[in-house]
Amino acid sequence: MTAFDGLMHGFSVAMRPDVLIYCVLGVVLGTFIGVLPGIGAMAAISLLLPITYYISPEAALIMLGGVYYGAQYGGAVASILLRLPGTPQSAVTTLDGYPMARQGRAGVALFASMISSFLGSMIGIAVLIGLAGWLSNAATSFGAADYAAMMVLGLVAASTIGSKSPVKAFAMVVLGLILGCVGTDVNSGVQRLTFGQTELLDGINLVALAMGLFGVAEIIGNVRAAEREGSPPHVSLRQLLPTRDDLRRLPGPIVRGGALGALFGALPGTGSTISSFLSYALERRVSRRPERFGEGAIEGVAGPEAANNSAAISAFVPTLTLGIPGDPIMALMLGALVIHGIQPGPLMLDARPDMFWGLVVSFGIGNLILLVLNLPLIGIWVSMLRIPFRWLYPAIVVFVCLGVYSVRGSSYDIAAVAVIGAAGYLLAVARFNPALLLLGFVLGPLIETNLRRAMLIGRGDPMIFLTRPISAVFVAATVALITAAIWGALRKRREGLGQR
Amino acid sequence: MRRDWHDLLGGVAMVATGLFVSIYSQLHYDIGSLRQMGPGFFPVTLGGILAVLGLAIALPAWRRSGTARPLALPEMLAILAAIAVFGFGLQTLGIVVATAIAVVLASLPAPRPGWIWRCVLAVAVTALTWLVFKHGLRMTMPVWPEFPG
Amino acid sequence: MKHFDSRTALAMSLVLSGAGMAQAQDAWPTEPVHVYVGFPAGSSPDVLARLITEPLAEKLGQPVVVENKPGAGGVIGVQQMLAGKENYAFGTTINGPLTTSPRLTADVGYDVAADIAPVTLIATSPLVLAMAADAAPGDVAGFIDAAKAEPDAIAYGSVGQGSGAHLTAELFADAAGIQMLHVPFASYAEVTTSIIGGEIDAGFMAPSAALPQVEAGKMKMLGITSSEPFAQVPDVPVIAGQADIPDDFRAELWNAFIAPAGTDPAIIERLNAEVNEILKDPAVQEQMLTMGWQAQGGSADDLSQRISDDTETWGAVIDRVEAQ
Repeated sequence: MTAFDGLMHGFSVAMRPDVLIYCVLGVVLGTFIGVLPGIGAMAAISLLLPITYYISPEAALIMLGGVYYGAQYGGAVASILLRLPGTPQSAVTTLDGYPMARQGRAGVALFASMISSFLGSMIGIAVLIGLAGWLSNAATSFGAADYAAMMVLGLVAASTIGSKSPVKAFAMVVLGLILGCVGTDVNSGVQRLTFGQTELLDGINLVALAMGLFGVAEIIGNVRAAEREGSPPHVSLRQLLPTRDDLRRLPGPIVRGGALGALFGALPGTGSTISSFLSYALERRVSRRPERFGEGAIEGVAGPEAANNSAAISAFVPTLTLGIPGDPIMALMLGALVIHGIQPGPLMLDARPDMFWGLVVSFGIGNLILLVLNLPLIGIWVSMLRIPFRWLYPAIVVFVCLGVYSVRGSSYDIAAVAVIGAAGYLLAVARFNPALLLLGFVLGPLIETNLRRAMLIGRGDPMIFLTRPISAVFVAATVALITAAIWGALRKRREGLGQR
Repeated sequence: MRRDWHDLLGGVAMVATGLFVSIYSQLHYDIGSLRQMGPGFFPVTLGGILAVLGLAIALPAWRRSGTARPLALPEMLAILAAIAVFGFGLQTLGIVVATAIAVVLASLPAPRPGWIWRCVLAVAVTALTWLVFKHGLRMTMPVWPEFPG
Repeated sequence: MKHFDSRTALAMSLVLSGAGMAQAQDAWPTEPVHVYVGFPAGSSPDVLARLITEPLAEKLGQPVVVENKPGAGGVIGVQQMLAGKENYAFGTTINGPLTTSPRLTADVGYDVAADIAPVTLIATSPLVLAMAADAAPGDVAGFIDAAKAEPDAIAYGSVGQGSGAHLTAELFADAAGIQMLHVPFASYAEVTTSIIGGEIDAGFMAPSAALPQVEAGKMKMLGITSSEPFAQVPDVPVIAGQADIPDDFRAELWNAFIAPAGTDPAIIERLNAEVNEILKDPAVQEQMLTMGWQAQGGSADDLSQRISDDTETWGAVIDRVEAQ
């Protein structure tokens, strides 16, 4: 079946009234869930799963998919308005989205995030249609050494984002890496740094960490500050709209972020959180004026949002073409199919073309609905900033707790939010950047398990990192990046001395 | 003496954390070999790096003056208490009572006197929470206080 | 109101005894019953639990709420069940938390013999030995020969140190007299990717994890660990009896319905009867089979026996692994 026939076939599935209704339901619910801090697509999908027993498998998958990418749209809203990431994927969006909101440009930031999300998704869909076969091959040819080398490159590239002091930035990354060690070590089964707490055996809960570091810390710091400053000035419709300069800055980050997200989404185990971090790092690197980042650069919103939405779409590639779920959310989606007696695998594209193409077309429809739905909402979101903070924050505290609870029904995780929140607030006061801690936390376990696995598979020979071509490329890029950084620092120093 | 206390204390905290992790891991976990890296390899190394970085943050801060930013202690205590009460109370008190208490606790440091708005807020947030999480999302948790049989 | 009722029922069950027990049993359940599952919604143990709890709710005339409390390989689910309300908190769990976890986890917080009352076995699942389709060995004997070429010649993947896949492979290695290189992964998805990508050679895995790749011609199954051929993959030969493997070689994962030790014995009896009846339903058996599970059932004592047998078998394997 050619892609054109497939798309036509997909339209006939996705436009079925029942499927369309569930698609709309999914994306609306996803947006809503994404806006709520803490509660993300994972929790929403597991809560919805029992309902899908009663609807057709196409409708079920399309609805759950809608929740998944819809949550990415919603997640940015709270990030921009309150510096409270609705989902861990949108934590990076706080870095420049929140400063923009403080400058009275919340509407522009929201517009940038919506349009980037939409276009990022479109890039993801194009990749899904055109390169699904190639990407699924790439996914199986990526070995442990390749993953480890790629993650190290990502860590090096992103490890100085959003901080004035490289030493403090690096310290946060290392602290994140250490927190990532907590839990059962996959390789040895040893329970590390858990201090006898069974709840820590699977590691620190990512959502609790993100909510504590960003949400709780931000609320504590804002209770009085927000009240003193009063409500932000009235925003006219004109200020909601991006300027010509803003629009000129959008296409580059969107295309780069979308491409990056599509690649990372398709690789099992990497996912959209990492792709949004890396897109941010990439934008900062290619920018002629990197110092604007962290002060409200629109590129810092557009790139990551395009990346995480593109990744959300391309995450379906290994799931649908190989039957291999790339992340826990995809594993849940697979579960939904298995409930209906469908075993996704390499043969699914031929055996159930209605499923694959219906889903692809529904992605397009769903994202269009999200864009149409969300653009008019921008005005409403921005006007929410005018509500006095004292009316908002107690509700946010409760929502954060329930969002964290929704992940695995654990009261322990709520208590953990209090502890992490306290630490996060102290770190924020001392100007340590929590986004870097989160980066280290997400990348750390991937680097460690893959590095150790590669050494095992290579029977103890570190040459495995250079003999595998994919890995060798990443190692070379990492070395180049570090060399360039050292050279740049030396040159700056020499210039500084020359001036003196 | 005005020093950059934030970096100084932050750095010292990093040194303490790093040393603790490194030494604790050295004592409890096997470091292994290059071929078969043990569970201790990463924590020991990372802890050491963090301690060095902490030192690099704290030492220059000793000689540098900085502006101290005030710590919002009452706000911190109130909000952490709200979260703790909610976390420990959810299973026993049920979502309604736990939410109401947490909202009132969290609202205590807000710079606006009076109890009426706090109570109105507690009722409103409780209703909203029940509507969204219990009724809408059908999360499984007790609504009212449960008395263990 | 609700609590008044439940307390009355409880008081009745405490006061009445012997013949009165029948009355208490008639009254039970007077409120929703909770079944704790130590895995997230949509996972295989969760779907298995829901296949039981849906018809169970009808039979009991009260809602049966599945409480997903994932974590620590199912241990958290058992812990939460033990903290639940007496006579209304039950659980379904895989074998790990009842057999190997107390050995492998620092402190699980419960004693299987003293704190857990077995209700019934639900289902069992064997594991298949899978390799890439283009790998040289064609059967179990060929596999063992290849492994004997040199120690660690064959690298196999598992879903973590101490997982069923790991221990099964070590049990097999011991029976065959071979030594393989163990490479732990986090999920079967990663193991299959790595086998297809040629990074590792083999792995013991759930038949349903391997089947789609086998049908696509990317992987092959050399043998299965059950004592008889398995209905989901009837063509795969049993490992027992091949090459030098003893005839009684058997390794199965299972899933069971359990209760806290203090539960009213009459309630356990009732649940055993109801769940066994549900497991006899051909539709339920069919659905379990598509997920790679063989419906079982049986008495509480059968399950008790299974727990102690497996604790011993796997304990010995863990001893050997730890000694290496």
